[in-house]
Amino acid sequence: MAAYMSMGEAHRRIAEYLNRFYDAVSSQDGKSLSRLFSISSDSSLQFLADALNTFQDANRIIRQSESSQYADIIVPVFRALQSYRLRNLVESYLAFEKAANAFVQEFRNWESAWALEALCVIAYEIRILAERADKELASIGKSPEKLKGAGSFLMKVFGVLAGKGPKRVGALYVTCQLFKIYFKLGTVHLCRSVIRSIETARIFDFEEFPARDKVTYMYYTGRLEVYNENFPAADHKLSYALTHCSPLKEANIRMILKYLIPVKLSIGILPWNSLLDKFNLTEYNNVVLALKRGDLRLLRHALEEHEDRFLRSGVYLVLEKLELQVYQRLIKKIYLIQKQKDPNKAHQIKLDVIVKALKWLEMDMDVDEVECIVSILIYKNLMKGYFAHKSKVVVLSKQDPFPRLNGKPVTS
Amino acid sequence: MEQLTKALTSLFNLYEANRAPHSIYKDEAEFHSYYVLLHLCSDNQGESLSLWFRHVPFVIMKSKEMCFARRILRFFRLGNYKQLIYTTEAEASYLQYCIIERYISEIRALALSCVNYGGYKLQPYPLTHLSNLLMMQESDLESLCVDCGLQTSSDGIGKVLLSTKLTSSCNPKREYQKYCELVSERLERLAAEVSEL
Repeated sequence: MAAYMSMGEAHRRIAEYLNRFYDAVSSQDGKSLSRLFSISSDSSLQFLADALNTFQDANRIIRQSESSQYADIIVPVFRALQSYRLRNLVESYLAFEKAANAFVQEFRNWESAWALEALCVIAYEIRILAERADKELASIGKSPEKLKGAGSFLMKVFGVLAGKGPKRVGALYVTCQLFKIYFKLGTVHLCRSVIRSIETARIFDFEEFPARDKVTYMYYTGRLEVYNENFPAADHKLSYALTHCSPLKEANIRMILKYLIPVKLSIGILPWNSLLDKFNLTEYNNVVLALKRGDLRLLRHALEEHEDRFLRSGVYLVLEKLELQVYQRLIKKIYLIQKQKDPNKAHQIKLDVIVKALKWLEMDMDVDEVECIVSILIYKNLMKGYFAHKSKVVVLSKQDPFPRLNGKPVTS
Repeated sequence: MEQLTKALTSLFNLYEANRAPHSIYKDEAEFHSYYVLLHLCSDNQGESLSLWFRHVPFVIMKSKEMCFARRILRFFRLGNYKQLIYTTEAEASYLQYCIIERYISEIRALALSCVNYGGYKLQPYPLTHLSNLLMMQESDLESLCVDCGLQTSSDGIGKVLLSTKLTSSCNPKREYQKYCELVSERLERLAAEVSEL
């Protein structure tokens, strides 16, 4: 509910905002200008919103002020603020989009990149307001399409920044906002065109971009590589994001690890339990334990226990495929037990013994299926040796019978 | 199959556009299972299945039809040729089988690659046993071996596949319908029921 405010106070607050706007533009103070657009994130602007709802004729003040030349921007910003304060989120978005478009027109005309910070705030706000507007639309049974619109606007902004001048360093931030939109909407394929621009256009030098934006970019593109099961590329990108992420940003580190851990597991690298505990990624505890133990039952149980979470994050299929490494570990354990009993015969494992071990794990597999699994492990170089069908035995190589992945994915 | 994929995509959009909270439509799980089976091979995935699964309602993911499709997907991805063929024969509906059928020759070729690469050369693999596992006529299996460039021989009892440790994967030079069909009374019965409709 808007706090009570006198007309005089309301007038003062509106005039103050207009003065700040004019001062920021005339002194090319990007930081100060950016603060004037933080509708959803700056609580001090609420007082301005209350003032606008009290005074009701802000347009007159705008016309009389030095900021009148920026009325095309300020009038809709005011409307967006008022609507946001009154919880009319769709109206707020529509007004802000109008303001944003007007701002971009001015931005194009400013030669230097002084207003880049303000543009980035606008890019952020338009996404947030669009998300909230879509929630409101969905709640009244209407089709949510504002976030899609925000995406179109940001593509336009990207085009404005994709030039030779100093404004180009803002392109990665806008790209990251686009990624967030596309991931939210499930239209991830739309990321391709911006990725292509960032990675192939000669005007962009990745090292020039701000560190924070590079981390976010590598996080999202790393996630795309995870979905496509391109593990070396996923490892490179997510590891970059992890290495360059501020150690104080624990929530961000957790987000990166959520995808990096399945990638590392797929290339044979296991995390310490302390890492999983520190960043509250305990859903991976039993997956890691299953890999260490060769416990297929535990792997399947872990996948079932956190099935929805793994499906939502898109790593379920990656984790499921770890089964082959679990089989490898199980057979290796049998080999090590046999080696303790009789080193000369350790390298010969009867398929029936593997059937029994799996039965003990409550996995009902017949000897044909075990032979099939063994043949796959040999074919994919997770085991070295051969299997003798008639004798129903697998004979392991005496040299390195269970090759490590060593940072490479299982042969496909 | 491409048309089926497009039709399914349109259908899913319609489901989403008309979805009431916490509800699914009568045959929705079945149609989702077809989508999974159409995308067993990652090469023909526009959007990866991992991405697609993110937006499928959990109740559909846990349906009988989707659990079947997800198991087939798991077997395919792991290369578990034995279970893929066995489970398809035992549980697939006729339309599910029709979709899976186009992957059968590929999974059979994988089986041959594995047996050829990992088998003991002094104990060649009997084609009779392999044809039972792969649910195909022995003569078709022999023909598939030849088409894949693999050597067979006779050991006095029957035909065997020689293990020559070929490192390249087997790909039949020609796509024959006979390499795709499963020899199965249950599936023949299903086909007959469909043709009576």
